[in-house]
Amino acid sequence: MFLALKEMARAKTRFGLLIAAVGMLVFLILFQQSLQNGLLTSFVGAIRNQSAPVLVYTVDGQRVIQGSVIPAGLEQQVGANTDVGRIGRIGLGTFTAETGDGERFDTTVLGYQTPDLGAPTELIAGRFPSAPGEAIGSDADASQGFGLDAVVTIQPGGYELVIVGLARDVQLNAGPTLFANYDDYVDAVRSVNPDALDPLPNILAVAPAEGVADTELVDSINAISQDLDALTRTEAADQTPGVSQVRQSFQVIFLLYGLVIPCVTGLFFLIITFQKSGALTLLHAIGAPVRRLVTSLLIQAVIIIAAGFLIGLAVYAPVSQRRLGGIPLRFETNAVIFWAILLMILGTGSSLISAKRVLAIDPIEATTGGANQ
Amino acid sequence: MTNSALHMSNVRKVYRMADTEVVALDHAELTVASDEIVALVGPSGSGKTTLCSIAGGILSTTEGSVTVGDEEITAYSDKQLTVFRQNQVGFVFQSVNLVPFLTARENLLVVDELGRREGKPARQRADRLLEELGLTDRSKNLPSQLSGGQKQRVAIGRALMNEPKLVLFDEPTSALDTELGSQVMELIRSEMKSRGTAAIVVTHDERITAYCDRTVHIIDGVLAA
Ligand SMILES: Nc1ncnc2c1ncn2[C@@H]1O[C@H](COP(=O)(O)OP(=O)(O)O)[C@@H](O)[C@H]1O
Ligand SMILES: [Mg+2]
Repeated sequence: MFLALKEMARAKTRFGLLIAAVGMLVFLILFQQSLQNGLLTSFVGAIRNQSAPVLVYTVDGQRVIQGSVIPAGLEQQVGANTDVGRIGRIGLGTFTAETGDGERFDTTVLGYQTPDLGAPTELIAGRFPSAPGEAIGSDADASQGFGLDAVVTIQPGGYELVIVGLARDVQLNAGPTLFANYDDYVDAVRSVNPDALDPLPNILAVAPAEGVADTELVDSINAISQDLDALTRTEAADQTPGVSQVRQSFQVIFLLYGLVIPCVTGLFFLIITFQKSGALTLLHAIGAPVRRLVTSLLIQAVIIIAAGFLIGLAVYAPVSQRRLGGIPLRFETNAVIFWAILLMILGTGSSLISAKRVLAIDPIEATTGGANQ
Repeated sequence: MTNSALHMSNVRKVYRMADTEVVALDHAELTVASDEIVALVGPSGSGKTTLCSIAGGILSTTEGSVTVGDEEITAYSDKQLTVFRQNQVGFVFQSVNLVPFLTARENLLVVDELGRREGKPARQRADRLLEELGLTDRSKNLPSQLSGGQKQRVAIGRALMNEPKLVLFDEPTSALDTELGSQVMELIRSEMKSRGTAAIVVTHDERITAYCDRTVHIIDGVLAA
């Protein structure tokens, strides 16, 4: 402790700069972690956090709700499957919606037939719709005129929806998202385009019969027709086009950060170990066991990573409460714990290269001063 | 119980390099009494540092045996030698003697911190040594803020921190002018004598020998009284 702390106290700038650099990298990592999760949630939160355990698309839809259209024949075939317990329609439309203060947004309206087959699983405020013209909003949009009791007008046509409940993390395609009864969804479509036929459902929401697992139901439905593409809720969210690409891009970024931090700390310790090799040799020559010298190095590495992490965390905490271009960020506790452990291991691990140098010190060099030249 | 601080018997040291061998020490016989100060005088490259390194357990011999106090260290492992250096000998090296990021006082305390960890008694010993060496008002200075003579005095204090049986001074005055050199030698003598500690003082300056009890000459690795 003594040696490690004294040295840090005497070289405050040097160690301070390293701690600041580690802190900045930690902040960037955690921030991007929030960004990734926020981005994915705003893209497919509505799928992930709706109540139907299995969703059925058409193959043509390529796992995009808007792209899928279920003809009546297929709907009947799915309904007739004995593994299906309950079945409901889900329709999706993107409309121009005007909020109370006259602002217009491209808004997704999802229509579900029964709340346990396609409505948000949980509300954080208000209630589920019980009368025509009522809808559930996403709390991420609440501040933009989609809050509780707000009235939203679908344009052109002037169909009105009043928001009676709010759910968390239920956006689709990173824009304002509303959940309404299927009939209201159909009315909304008609109001915009009075001449159109009744829309077909985009996807089907199904729950398994007693004793049937979700995955069994998925297999069973996919066996009905080559045109059907049944997915569990999680699969449907994760396999939405773009999701895995976003994940992969972020993984590359995280991998790079995961490499940069040990490189920075490893190189730093290598340089300072080299610079003070004269002192280390002297100490070993006068009887300091190399083990103690290595311990002192590791203590410094732990202090630097810990302090850097705390600084990064201190910057991250307030930033994680904000929105970034419409994407709500969140404090990712799991990511914080994961990265704290990983960086501690990588940071101290990288300083072991310097420890190897320390272990190789030959005390004879103290007699010649060779180590210090 | 022997009453010699150092006994070297028939010690030979050969440095082996790619295609040559350098015999740095040959058939060295040397006994230093428990409170004796021996001057080791010889030209550059004659084997003085080699002899001190062997006596201090920094270097192992090619042949012969070395006993410091009661300890026969000839066959010691690296670990055993480290513990031996920690407890039995004091060093003042030719070049680097102080840790640059520690103050004068801390340079003394680090001996205890990385060694026996006595705590308070060690702190008291450090303060007493700094006082004896006239460094009390310099104890908080870093080596870079000390003069050559002051640095050398800190190094002497550091060498005495572990209460060694034998202190090895490798050219302690070579970087100092005559006046300062004499002062440092007086200090060394009084510190050794007041503790009854044995010492070897390496020098190629004959004037230094006046401060020692006995002079041993070395030429091309061979000792002569
Ligand atoms: N590590 C070493 N490797 C090879 N030769 C060495 C080494 N250290 C010292 N020598 C050689 O051993 C001889 C004695 O060196 P040294 O003990 O340092 O002499 P002194 O201290 O009297 O100047 C010299 O010829 C020197 O070149
Ligand atoms: Mg020498």
